[in-house]
Amino acid sequence: MIYNRMIIRFFVMCCLLFAVVTSFAQSPARKFNVTGAARGYFFGDRLDQNVAQEDTITIPRLNSGHVLADLGLNIRPNKNMEIQGMVRVRNDYGGFWGSGVTFDIRQLYVKGVIGNVVRYQLGDINYRMTKYTLWNNDQELLSLTPQAFRQQYDVLNYDHFYNNDHSWRQQGAAAEFALVFSKFVEELQFHTVATRVRASNNSSINDRIFAGLNLQLIQSKYFNVGFNFVNLNDIEGTSRNTTLFRNPVMTYTAEGKWNNEQWAATSDVEWAHSKTFYVNDAEAPEWKGSAIDWRAKVKNEKTNVTLDVRLSKVDALFNSPGAQTKRINYGQLPTAYGRITNDQVVRNLSMMDLMRESNFYNLQLQNYLMAFAPKYDNITPYGDATPNRMGGVINLGWESPKKDVKVYVANTDMQEVRGEGTLTPRKFMRTEGGVEFKREKAFTSWQRRLAAQLSFRNDQTTRGGTDVVPQVDLNTQVAAAGLEIEVLEKLDLMAGWQWIQYNGFDFVARKNAYGETFNFNEYKVNGKENMMALGLRYRFSENAFLTTQWNQYDINDATLNSTSYNVGQIMVLYQMNF
Amino acid sequence: MKKLSIFIALSAIVFSGCKQDDEFSGPDLNNLYGGFSIVQDLDISNRNVDFSSGESTYFTATFSKNVEWNIEIKGLTSGAIRNIEGFSDNLNNVNALWNGTTSILPMFKGEDCAVEVTFLNQTDTLRDTLTVVAGRVNQGFLLSDFENGFPANWLTFIQSGANMSFNIQTSDLSAQGTHYYDMGGDVNWDWLKGYVYIPASAYGVQAFPLNSNPANVYFNTFYYKVPTLNNALILFQFCEDDNEDGTFNANNEDMYSIQVTPTAAGWSQLSVNYADLAALVNGAPSTPAGNGVKEPHKLMQVNILHLANPTSGYAQSYIDYLIFTENGPLIP
Repeated sequence: MIYNRMIIRFFVMCCLLFAVVTSFAQSPARKFNVTGAARGYFFGDRLDQNVAQEDTITIPRLNSGHVLADLGLNIRPNKNMEIQGMVRVRNDYGGFWGSGVTFDIRQLYVKGVIGNVVRYQLGDINYRMTKYTLWNNDQELLSLTPQAFRQQYDVLNYDHFYNNDHSWRQQGAAAEFALVFSKFVEELQFHTVATRVRASNNSSINDRIFAGLNLQLIQSKYFNVGFNFVNLNDIEGTSRNTTLFRNPVMTYTAEGKWNNEQWAATSDVEWAHSKTFYVNDAEAPEWKGSAIDWRAKVKNEKTNVTLDVRLSKVDALFNSPGAQTKRINYGQLPTAYGRITNDQVVRNLSMMDLMRESNFYNLQLQNYLMAFAPKYDNITPYGDATPNRMGGVINLGWESPKKDVKVYVANTDMQEVRGEGTLTPRKFMRTEGGVEFKREKAFTSWQRRLAAQLSFRNDQTTRGGTDVVPQVDLNTQVAAAGLEIEVLEKLDLMAGWQWIQYNGFDFVARKNAYGETFNFNEYKVNGKENMMALGLRYRFSENAFLTTQWNQYDINDATLNSTSYNVGQIMVLYQMNF
Repeated sequence: MKKLSIFIALSAIVFSGCKQDDEFSGPDLNNLYGGFSIVQDLDISNRNVDFSSGESTYFTATFSKNVEWNIEIKGLTSGAIRNIEGFSDNLNNVNALWNGTTSILPMFKGEDCAVEVTFLNQTDTLRDTLTVVAGRVNQGFLLSDFENGFPANWLTFIQSGANMSFNIQTSDLSAQGTHYYDMGGDVNWDWLKGYVYIPASAYGVQAFPLNSNPANVYFNTFYYKVPTLNNALILFQFCEDDNEDGTFNANNEDMYSIQVTPTAAGWSQLSVNYADLAALVNGAPSTPAGNGVKEPHKLMQVNILHLANPTSGYAQSYIDYLIFTENGPLIP
């Protein structure tokens, strides 16, 4: 009954809203805009297990899906102010008449300019600083994922506010202003942000705030330097708990650019320091760590060949929650087929789950390193700011003059700064390459869209053993291919394939509440995962499409207590942004 | 180009200073994978420990390497169990300290205890015994532990059903002490089997002496599920005297509740933050009848209702050790 009233109220509001929008649409300077997105999403899954004794307990077919609309109202009462509110209305299939219907506030912010000098934003903020202060790194395997699977990743990323600019969605306030100079220096920019990461429970948990400051001095278009300071800290007095977490991180950046008719070169460096400690906790350790990251990129303008070199060293105790928090929380269990076989063993997270399990994904900064899956990425699980790494990356790329063909090969050679359980460091080697072709009008004789991609990555982790300690040798190979062909106008045939194989042994550190390693678990893997997709996509416009896909996922994991199974999936997705 | 070259050269110089740490993190793997042996046998610092007077005891032992160990202390009369786990090459006064708390109910009482130390992936086991002179005493406002009989001025109503057993029982297996309150019966016309009303006036006060901040107040009790019975519900109600006139009026004053469905056989602990209590009508959340503000310092009566579906037959539950604590739940 309550839901019915809410639905009626909601539709009345929407009608009024659209009436208002229509009336303003005829005026030259619109003060209202409606923004948002709509989506219909359906999965039909079928599980087949390769087990000696037929599983009579697990339900093999699962259907799920929802329809939702994100309805945002953007109001500009004057030229210096903007208000954005967005509500999400979601209805799970089969959830009519109240059950399964949810109303959520998805976005709410106010922003504007004070005295034509200071820009501010209050409420929901997408904020990013540098790779060592505040940076939302991509989830594992995303960069190698073909478009056929990318559609499902895009849904996850949109729902969790993971943007292409690697910003974190936070709630708080941000402000910025700049001073412009006539000589020697072009501009001095000030950016500041403060967000609430955790709310107090008024008893034992303190408010936790993330605060940041960036000073950027633009000397010219060729050179700039910056200073960044962020701190994740508990606010004293917001609960009865006197133990307070503190994690200040300070970085200095510099960037130089140079170019002529034949060459274009850039180089940048970031030098970071962190300190992690608790106030009023005698048992808590105090960590100090530093990091340095240097990158140079040279491009030959005539051949379009680019050489990108990066050298970095990140201390084992460098802790930067804003830059090291992962998108995926590997502590969660899958909701689809969470337990399988007659023994109802817990099904481990798989490549398929990364693509579609919303509850794996994390929205908030974490004070210590989150768990990760070495089989998917053992080299950079926390992005460029992964602690305990030093080494280099060299990337050679080429793109055609029209930018419709891209090729790259890259090699990463790293090792640990500090050994784990032994003075001998692990060594990491990554070799990867890829080709991408994308044309809206493929050929003069066939003026339709054609896109294809191919990529491969090989990761190796090694460390010598002793008479009693086993050696570390963990290998992961990932390959992917994707194809999009416009068979009829705006109707694309899509195909995708992604394959991963992992095999070997490593140790995984067990950590206490302070992030200190107190023991190691043996980590043995030996498995293959394979995912294929074939489907059709109709593009109504640049902002709307309907896709239907058949996906086949199979896993063959020889690791102890694992099993082999495959999941066939029919997926229908309608997506519209407005 | 010159500036850029200088910049690149400087950066390269900075990196030339990068070197590996000359220490490692975590325990030594050579030690972890080495052979295991007991270097120094198990010993107990205080073999006759009186927890009621604030005493504690600790265990000592030394091993040849770091290992995951578990100390299990088992009360030989009550069956109470305390587990202490750790990862180290020795037991000492920090990592193996026991202050009388329990991991698996009941609480420890004056009794002999068996001590057993086991190790992950090792066959060795160390054994010893100690004596608890008296169990620990918890801080808080104790409503009753039923050790001295049914409290004066508590009110009861018992339906006239079959096999009604609202009374105090004596057993070494009580969650605390040797007595608990048994609520049981078969009432085939009503969900309610019986209730106990605990007015603040039974303690000579108008309202229970609790902190005014609901987030700081916890209500704790132990309840017991009879293994063969699955139908009992226990409803705890908290009646606030919003207008502080010395009486509770259900029509215009707040009553918050928590309903417990015992699921695990044996004793379990209920510890609920006062701030998490809700106004319930027939088990479903509803709007409080009073000012809607949780005010523990105005709590004037606690009700305990024993319920069961009238068609489900005989229902029975035990409760023990009703206590309010501040700043955290009861640590038994």
